[in-house]
Formats: sequence, structure tokens, C-alpha cells
Amino acid sequence: MEAVDDASLVRSLEAIVGPRGLLRHRSELAVYTADGLPGYRKFPSLAVFPASRAQLIDVVLALAEHDAPFVPRGAGTGLSGGALADGVVLVGLNRLRRILSLDPDNAIAVVEPGVVNAALSRAAAPFGLYYAPDPSSQAACTIGGNVAENAGGPHCLKYGVTLNHVLGVTAVLSDGEIVTLGPGASGAEPAGYDLLGAFVGSEGCFGVALDVTVKLTRSPQAVRTLLADFLSMDDAARATSAIIASGILPAALEMMDGPTIRAVEASIFAAGYPADADAVLLAEVDGLAAGLDADAGTIERICLAHGARTVRIASGPADRARLWQGRKKAFGAMGRVSSHLVVQDAVIPRTQLPSVLAQIREIAARHRVTVCNVFHAGDGNLHPNIGYNAYDADESARVERAMREIMRVCIDAGGTITGEHGVGLDKLRYMDMIFSPPSLAAQCRLREVFDPARRLNPGKVVPIHSCREWTRRPS
Amino acid sequence: MTAPGEAWAPETVAAVQDAVREAVSTRTPMRIAGGGSWLDAGWPVARDARLVRLDGLRGITQYTPGDLTLTARAGTPLRDIAEATAAEGQWLALDPFAAADDGGSIGATIATASAGPLAHALGLPRDTALGMEVVTGDGEVVRAGGRVVKNVAGYDLTRLMTGAWGTLGVITEVSLRLRARPEVDRTLALAHAGPAESAADAAAAVHRAAMAPLAAELLNPALAARLGVTATGSSVLLLRLGGNAERVDSEQLEAGTLADTAVIDADVWRALRQCERSYPGAAVVRWSQLPSLVANTWRHAVQHCAEIPDALIHASLGRGVVRAIIPAAGAAALARVLRAAERTSGSRMFDGQRIAERLPAPLWSAEPAPTAGDRLSRRVRLAFDPWHVLNPGVLGEGAHDIGDHHDRRGS
Repeated sequence: MEAVDDASLVRSLEAIVGPRGLLRHRSELAVYTADGLPGYRKFPSLAVFPASRAQLIDVVLALAEHDAPFVPRGAGTGLSGGALADGVVLVGLNRLRRILSLDPDNAIAVVEPGVVNAALSRAAAPFGLYYAPDPSSQAACTIGGNVAENAGGPHCLKYGVTLNHVLGVTAVLSDGEIVTLGPGASGAEPAGYDLLGAFVGSEGCFGVALDVTVKLTRSPQAVRTLLADFLSMDDAARATSAIIASGILPAALEMMDGPTIRAVEASIFAAGYPADADAVLLAEVDGLAAGLDADAGTIERICLAHGARTVRIASGPADRARLWQGRKKAFGAMGRVSSHLVVQDAVIPRTQLPSVLAQIREIAARHRVTVCNVFHAGDGNLHPNIGYNAYDADESARVERAMREIMRVCIDAGGTITGEHGVGLDKLRYMDMIFSPPSLAAQCRLREVFDPARRLNPGKVVPIHSCREWTRRPS
Repeated sequence: MTAPGEAWAPETVAAVQDAVREAVSTRTPMRIAGGGSWLDAGWPVARDARLVRLDGLRGITQYTPGDLTLTARAGTPLRDIAEATAAEGQWLALDPFAAADDGGSIGATIATASAGPLAHALGLPRDTALGMEVVTGDGEVVRAGGRVVKNVAGYDLTRLMTGAWGTLGVITEVSLRLRARPEVDRTLALAHAGPAESAADAAAAVHRAAMAPLAAELLNPALAARLGVTATGSSVLLLRLGGNAERVDSEQLEAGTLADTAVIDADVWRALRQCERSYPGAAVVRWSQLPSLVANTWRHAVQHCAEIPDALIHASLGRGVVRAIIPAAGAAALARVLRAAERTSGSRMFDGQRIAERLPAPLWSAEPAPTAGDRLSRRVRLAFDPWHVLNPGVLGEGAHDIGDHHDRRGS
């Protein structure tokens, strides 16, 4: 809590943002002690909310002058504890929410970091355009946060993740220097070091985006959405593998297991999923109208051949929206079931789905925890979530053990620890399981190019012990 | 220990590591080579550099077709990957221009971020590389990314290394995303009768049409004639259509509404990618800006090359890239082109970027370095290649920068 006592910093920040742009009292800061992942609670020393680009730059400069570590934060919907400030300054970016330009002819937009993902798509809709990456939190999450996390979403299977849609970032580094990364609105192909590629997904440790230039995507001519339900999750997993192998690239291919289906159907987000199913697959194809029904027909046949009980095709936009709402609000629906939720985000090779899902089931039974699987099956990006009561020490310990075992199984299958949520605080303990000390040290080296003093989002992404070694270099 | 001056030819990662450590301890610059396709691209590397041949570090180390991913050692020729994946109805959608008879290596393709016609719809190397193993300039073996198609674990060294031309590390292994081959794969040639300058305006109609080709390349009359796809001396638009039969038929009908259309052999794509190799000493210059402005970029390039006889020009519509292949005989005219400022042409300003891919050695010195000059890039270089032994000079960093490096390291 030392920064709160730093009266000089508080005076500097207040002079920039005014008294209403600064929160200092514990009761006010309580709102900012968590992100979308329950289970962590960290108090920032204070929270500052610049209202303009100029104010943001001045805030960063003031923090630099005071040598104060800080954490940038968008909407706080992240699922890795990445935007938590533990006794340091939190810089909220949600007031920087102007769309600076939207160029429909060239299908690009330049936005401030606090622009909400869905708001950008709404603004682009009159021109037949949208912003393709669609994290489930898109109604609230910000483009700046998406860039920090390299956010994904169901439709990234076909359209790619945030990285594939960002043309440029203007960022202020922790020392106040302003840098332009990537080609930006000129659209020239990147040449030289791909510093933009390195920045996207750097979890707020490299710099703070002042503006982001993104590509917009032309709305598809036609869309078909299918719901297939299975009495065995194993069958659904095999159907997934078969669809991917068929050569059709669905826009999205999502799976939900029985416990998830029942949580959704019992909630206000009920989507009409068969409540007795062991798994449902939600598949979508889009693009040119010609040939689309044939692709949808192929997916239907594959599902039926792999044991689907029924396959139905959404009758129209309203039906499609309802099917999707159940999927996108599934995490929310789990809130009815338990007070806390551990969210995992491992990615495995797609052929490993049946085997890994079976092992997860076995681990859950052994530790007496309930796993809800809701995930991007087409990418092999699992979200095995466990609802629990964090105030029950025994249950919490069992959940922790189960999660660690699940992560081990995913890594042993050739996978990784996070596909779209980021490492943040929550996955930090798994980094040693997939990266060797020299590999982690190399990551530290890259971070220190951008933020030599490691003042930006301290204590996240790479375990701190990994960063000490590399400065000891041969000479 | 290898004799001084002899090329290193490591066949294992450990041997690459030994070579880098030796280079560091003797302060010997390394010239990293895969299949040798791109050795005359980029700025010349220091004369006293010692060659590191990676063509012995080859082989596919992991390929599970159902995962649509593949891992190969850096020296593996693209040809080997193409053969292995074709047997499973899949492909690696990286088909770089100028790779020597597909003997170009996967490591160099990623290191140079080289792409080809399929990038129109299927992405660049930065979109295709999932992970890699590299030996950094201090001799450490570093793994980045992974083998799965979605991965945000840690800072993204894979993107950093892709397109870094080996100056941040020697890539020893790469994991890649594959694609299923389309059920139907059909190539069309659309003739454009008007003047070459306006050909891209017509081609831009493809963007608005009900089609989504895998590749769309516009050829100027000289290139179209060279590839044998025009009988009338016209510009030609090549389209590669892929998907199920119903879709491809529909796209072909749509193409027919734009121009005279002929179905041609898919081998034209290989011929296009290889054609610059039949001009030893040819220069290649490329212009790039937003794909929606490709007609403007095309006009700009065509006007710039107006005085160069036999300039072969093509535009990758979806990438917004226009490339001009200039046979050695045009070198003098090329020097004038390079000196001419990028200025207004046609109705609007060209606001993009010009990059020299290949130049005759004497012309490099006049070319402004497009890269590695900014403060961050220089710090990245220092962090990953502190002794400046990895391909020094290939990104156009001058003697001053190199001296600066050495001073700062106190070596």
C-alpha cells in the first residue's frame, strides 16, 4: 500500500485527471479487486482513469517519474487474473472509448483501447462489416484488452484470433515513449521485426495501447448453424475430429457437455438444448451461399454417422441467436450452480479430444468435483471448468489438485496451458511445465526490451525467478 | 571443432548450438542458409561471414493428419512437406515466390516470412507458424509457442522470429498449421483487353463479386506471355477457386460475368512462383499497401517500371502486394527507378511501402534500410544477438550500427 502514501504521486495524478478520475478509498477500490475469474482478490493502491489520450500519456509519465509500477485494465472481463493490481496503481482505460475512424471502403477502423468489442461491430454493421474476433464477453470486453490477451472466441476457428485482425498499435511504453507498431492504416505488409506480433498478447506488460488499427471483415453472404446432440461425449469428440478432417473449415465448432447443458437450460439463457444429452455440438458454416447447404449437409451426415441423436439446423437469425446465446452465456449460467468457478483454457491436438475428455472425467470423479466442459472443439481449446465454494478449504484443495492433474494430462497430450485467456496470475504456476528455463529467460529478454524496469503489470506471465538468470551472460 | 573458414553443416540442434557458441567466442559472423533460395535476397552479409548450412538438419518430426499440424526440422525442403501432406489430402498453404524448385526450406520460408499466391486467402507465415525451436545469439536453445493451433502461453517469440531473417536466432525446427485440400481445385485465366495500367481496376471487381478465391494474381502482358496464358498480349488475372463442386461452379459462372474466362492447368502457379529464378541476377521490388488500394498500387508500379523493358509485374490482390521482376539487363533503368521518389501517380498518392527483395549488389547501397532502424528493433537485436554474429547486415543495418553494438557490449 506504499503508493497510497506517496502524496506526491497522488497530487500529480489528480492534477492530470481531476479528483473524480482517481479512486483511493478501499471501498471504492473493491470493485477493481477481481476480474472475470473468481478466486483472486487484489487491492490496487489506487486507481486512475484518464479521460483522453493526452491524459493517459501524462499519467504514464507521472508514474515513470515516481518509478511506480502499474497495471492497465480494460473492462476487467479477463479470465486469468491478468488485470489485477496487487498494491500497485491500476490504470483504467474504459473512458477511452472513441472510435477514431471507421473506413468502410478499406474495411479498417482505428479505435481507442476502451472501445467495447461488440460496439465496434455495431458501428460497422451499417456498412456490411464486423469485427471478427468474438470472445464470449464481447458485450463488455474492450479492444485494448483483446489486444493485450490476443483474445479468441468461437469464430476464430475460421477467422483467426486478435493477432490476425490487428494492423497496428500506437502504444506508450512505461517510460513514456510513444511507439508505432505495425503498418497501421497504410496496410503495407509488415517488414522487419514483427514487434506488433510480439505486442499482441503481451498481457499489458509491454506498453499501453493509445489506439489500435483493426481490420474489419465483410459479413458473410450466408450462414448455417447446426445443433447436434449426442448421448456420449466421446461420440461428439469423434464427430469433431471427423468434421475437421473432412476438409470443411467451419466458422465455429463448439461443444458443451451434459453438466453445462443443464446449467444453461436451467438459467435465463436457456437455448433449447436437449437436457438429457451428454454433449451438444454447435457448428456453423458461413461464406458464399453457393455450396453452403452442401457443407452443412456433410456436417449433418458426419454427426449422424458418429452417433448424433438429432441434428437440427437453425431456422433463421432468431433461432441462431438463441442457440448461440446458450453457448456465450454458459460461464454466466454456471454462476447459478456454485459461488466460485475455476476456468481452464488448455489447448490439445484435436485427435486427442476423446482421450483427454475421458481422462478429465476420471480425474473429476476421483477428486469428487464436477467439471463442466464448454469449449472450442474445432481448435482443441478446452475449457474444463469446476464450480466450487472457495470458503470450503477441503473442496478448494480437491479442485486445485484436480486442475493440476487436468493440466498435466493436456500438456502430456502435446498441448499448451492457455489458448486465449492468457497466463496472467492464474496460469503462472504452469509456465514451468511447458517452457525450459532458457525459453522463459528469452521471454523475459523480450519483455525488458519494452519495459526494462519491469514496472508494467508486474508479477504476471513469466515467473519472476526465470527472469533473474538471463542477465548473467557470458562476456 | 570445424576448421576455420569451412562451412558449418550441423545435423543436430546441439551442433547448431556449438556453431553459434564458436561463432561468439571467435566473433565470426554467420551466414545462415537453408535451401539457398534467398541467399541473394536481403542486404549482403559481412564478407568474412562463415556459412552455416542447415540442409542436413532435415526431416518431419511430427505429423498427425487428424490434427492438421506438422513439425519439421528447419532444413526440410518444402517439397518434402508437400509430398507428405498431399498423401493425406492436406497441404501447407505456404507457397513462396522464388523458392528454388520447391527446394526452399521451411526454416528459411519462416525466417524470411516469404509467401506466395495462397496468402491471398490462407495467410502469411506469421499466421501459419505455431511454434519453433531456435538457437539464439548467445547459444541457448529456446522453444517458443507449441504444436497446437491456438496458444497464448507467454510472450510471442514465434511472431518475433518469423521474418527476422535469422538475425535473432537460428531456427532449427518449426511447427505449422496445415489445411485440408479443397474437394475441387480449379484455376481460371481471365483476360483483360484494356491497357495494363487499368487492369487492376477490373481485377478489383473480384473483391465485390460473389467469389472467394484461394489465390488471385494479376499478371502484366509480359508475364502473362512468359507463362503462356495469353494469346493476344493482354494482361491476365489468374484465379484459383477451391471448395465443393457447387461452390466452385458458381464462382466460375460469376467470373464469366467479369471477363473472358478459360480453365487452365494448375501448373501455372508453380510456373509463376518459379519464373524469377530463370533470370539470374534479376532484381525483385515489391510495393504494398491496403488490399483495397491494390489498383492504385498496381498503377504506381506499372508507371514506375514503364521504362524498364521486360519488367514482369504481378499483383497479389488479397495481400495488396505488387511485385516487379526486373531482368539483369534492366539494372540501369532500375537504378533510376529506385532513385525516383515514391510520388503521386495516377489519381492519388501511393501511401504504402516499397521493399527491395533482391537487387544486384551495387544497387543495395543506394536503398534505404526499411527495417531494424528504430530504437526498439535495435534493442531486440541486442537482446537476442548481443555479439552480432547472426547474419549481420542482412536487414540493411549499416556498419555504424554494428560498431555501436560492439562498443556497447565492450567486446
